[in-house]
Amino acid sequence: MTRYIIRRLLQAIPTLLGISLLGFTLIKVAPGDYVLMSTFDPSITAEVRDELRQQLGHDQPIPIQYVEWLTGVSLRGGDVVDAMAPMSKNCHSFGSLGFTFCDRGGGLLRWDLGYSLATKEPVWDMLRSRMPASFELGVVVLVLTFLFGVPLGFLGALFRGSAKDQGIRLLSVAGQAVPNFWMGLICIFVFSVLLGWLPVGGRMTISLDMKFSLVDRIRHLILPSFVLSLGGVAFLTKLVRTQVLEVIAQDYLRTARAKGLGSLALWTRHVLRNAMLPLATVLGPAIVGVISGALVIETIFAWPGVGRLTWFSALQRDYPMIMGAVMFYSALTILGYLISDILYAAIDPRIRL
Amino acid sequence: MKRLAWRRLLAGATLVVLVLPLLAACTTVAVPTEMAAVPAGPVQGGTWTEASSADGTILNPILASDAASFDMMPYFPGLLGTNPKTGAVEATEMAESWTVSEDSLVWTFNLRPGVTWSDGEAVDAHDFKFTYNAIASELVETPRKANVAGIESIEVIDDLTVRVTFTDLKCDGLLDLGLGWLPSHLYAEDFSDIMDSPLNTAPTVTAEAFGFKEWQRDNFIAMESNDGFWKGAPNMDGQIIRVIPEASSRLASLEKGEIDVMGLEPTQLTRVGLNPDLNIFKFKDDGYSYIGLNQANPANPLPGQDEDGNLVEQDPHPILSDKMVRKAMAHSLDYEAIINKVYLGQGYKLASNVLPAVGWAHDASIEPYAYDLEAAAALLNEAGWTDSDGDGVRECNGCATAEAGVTLSLNLKTNAGNSTREELGVLVQDQLNSIGFDIEFEAIEFGTLVGELLGQTYEMVIIGWTGLGTDPNDDSFWHSKFDTPGSGFNFVSYQNPRVDELLELGLETPGCAAEDRAPYYYEIQQIIHDEIPYLFVTGSIGNVGYSNRWEGIDPGTWSFSWNIHEWALTE
Repeated sequence: MTRYIIRRLLQAIPTLLGISLLGFTLIKVAPGDYVLMSTFDPSITAEVRDELRQQLGHDQPIPIQYVEWLTGVSLRGGDVVDAMAPMSKNCHSFGSLGFTFCDRGGGLLRWDLGYSLATKEPVWDMLRSRMPASFELGVVVLVLTFLFGVPLGFLGALFRGSAKDQGIRLLSVAGQAVPNFWMGLICIFVFSVLLGWLPVGGRMTISLDMKFSLVDRIRHLILPSFVLSLGGVAFLTKLVRTQVLEVIAQDYLRTARAKGLGSLALWTRHVLRNAMLPLATVLGPAIVGVISGALVIETIFAWPGVGRLTWFSALQRDYPMIMGAVMFYSALTILGYLISDILYAAIDPRIRL
Repeated sequence: MKRLAWRRLLAGATLVVLVLPLLAACTTVAVPTEMAAVPAGPVQGGTWTEASSADGTILNPILASDAASFDMMPYFPGLLGTNPKTGAVEATEMAESWTVSEDSLVWTFNLRPGVTWSDGEAVDAHDFKFTYNAIASELVETPRKANVAGIESIEVIDDLTVRVTFTDLKCDGLLDLGLGWLPSHLYAEDFSDIMDSPLNTAPTVTAEAFGFKEWQRDNFIAMESNDGFWKGAPNMDGQIIRVIPEASSRLASLEKGEIDVMGLEPTQLTRVGLNPDLNIFKFKDDGYSYIGLNQANPANPLPGQDEDGNLVEQDPHPILSDKMVRKAMAHSLDYEAIINKVYLGQGYKLASNVLPAVGWAHDASIEPYAYDLEAAAALLNEAGWTDSDGDGVRECNGCATAEAGVTLSLNLKTNAGNSTREELGVLVQDQLNSIGFDIEFEAIEFGTLVGELLGQTYEMVIIGWTGLGTDPNDDSFWHSKFDTPGSGFNFVSYQNPRVDELLELGLETPGCAAEDRAPYYYEIQQIIHDEIPYLFVTGSIGNVGYSNRWEGIDPGTWSFSWNIHEWALTE
């Protein structure tokens, strides 16, 4: 198992490098750029834009910019030590070879995601500062999803064809069909504006002399977590119901029943365990979702999570921030699937890693 | 929608507040009639809460380039004030008075004495000089470098006197001096710490009505009142700006009393208007919406001038370079219906490029184009665009700019997510197609649109200008030197040597008196109206919804919160 995990983690390195190259190229060839977006102001002249591009190195070919982002090393043609020195730690001109080499510091290979162009803050600090909010909402949503999705799926299968099953299936379809932005707005209107029971949005009640209050945090969590978990609950209910129905139709279950195995043991040892296998596939990526945020719900409920940060960075063409988010999500996804595989092996002894 | 950034332009007199002793607490003491008649002072305390659709990026006035950031940093004093109602430059900020040399190049500002940062250090001429020298420094990466491009030198005569020398006469040059000042005593003299200073996210001092308290990214920023504010200590305890990206959620927060103010969209006006706890401030904003018509071939964008400043002949657009076609378009749009249906009445017809808000330069005698389909059809026929095959789309049959048989097909773009512009696009497509155009309309991501716009690879675009300010100079839209594919704002490739000349005359008028500059702008407006590089769709009307639990709010077109330090809770 340990060897398997180490092997998978080592395999992740070239994967991540490939993703970084692809991601960097894609965002660079996309129309619009950071300098245009941040200076979309008629009072700013073309010369200022050109100077800014030069300072940021955005006037260089994409491969040079990629190397700079990856290694923190700038390469320029000719002897431009004087021009580069203010922005770099060390600059050397290799006159005979006709280029200048400068160490700007940072770079992914030095475990540094760089600085946001818009905020001038370290990318990792910006991601980290949004994670608690995303994590808080994500964990509650994950718990709610499994807490309701699994039992409802079981109930549906247990009472297959009954009114209860029909009701659960209806809820499941509705939960998946209703767009969460619409449900979010309706919930705000009903529970916040009309009834006044819950706050409209945000993570906490904001005042000049704020103090932590668990009750207040929970009140702010109710609506976004409810709306965000609806789709997950519906999906999981359907998945578990189908899986359980499949399992209870198997021969080994009839055999177990014929052998006189008690109902509880039958359901927990045979049905539940076998029906859980596909859940392991879902759980890995779901854990990633806990940290990576949810753009729509974060927007509607003014939740300060990672999803909004990534979205706004993409709109602003804040390249280091976008690349930081891409690398972060990619690493998380790889980790998520690794967790899935490990869970698979833990649930099903036939699978050997 | 013009944001509440005008707060920075604080002006007006300090209200002297007399707080009555707590006589009411002494219930057994008879209060003399005369004393009871003395009005109570404003209520102290409370927190003013605003909503912003986006978070700020950085709290440094020389590094920021977005409106949300400027909204979130009312800590840095400025040189000049602006009258909140008229937009006129006034000596209501750090500059108490000034003198100008005869050639209008040298401006000497006398600064207000006794103004201090909240740590006790004086706000003086050194802060001003430091700020502008920092912008010019090669160590500072900022889009604000345009603000120092026209400045030859800044001299500190003494602590309270500063002299600015401009390289060339530029009548809107004073606007370049409008940035907030940094507290120079907190930075390295060589500007080496400006880019990564912790002050960029947590300023420790203020010289304005509020001081920084806390900033939780994408969530809120909290500011405490500055009791040492030179115009008078604010009555409120402080203010909070909450980041609420979704417009419906902002409205729900306003209705629930979680926020005190927000910019309203037209669809929200009825609900706010019916709410007895809310007021609406309506004003003609300094912006407009238009359809830009690229007069050059999008497949071959060329600069407007060569290196020596001579006009470069453009590769003309096969359809839009024909003035008669543009004029036909101007007559084909039902502006009244557009303003009523798309903008829900929150707009006004516009004839040319200078807004009524800049009263002295606006030529009200020019009439907007009338909705006249017959005139439009006649113009197209005259221009050689007729529908010879009866398929509803006109073709070139003797037109001046395209080959015979070319259809009157054009692409119209706008930015996706702006529902008003998307609706406008559909309506415009419908109205133009009804007289024989074949308009393909698409809404694309804003960054992509900006790339195509400045790259001049589009044909028609729906977009708008906002925050045009108090000066009528808009040379960046029309002067041929700003027709630079990839970065210039004359992205319609408009070329007219007379307009180039008039724009220069308007900017370089000796003495810069309004009455001397106005004739140039009147002539420019007439030419722009006649030549139609833009289809002017509507002038912008802004609406701000705000809570009536505060008193003293006196909003103006150019500033909503200019006297925020005087505001107080009603009870």
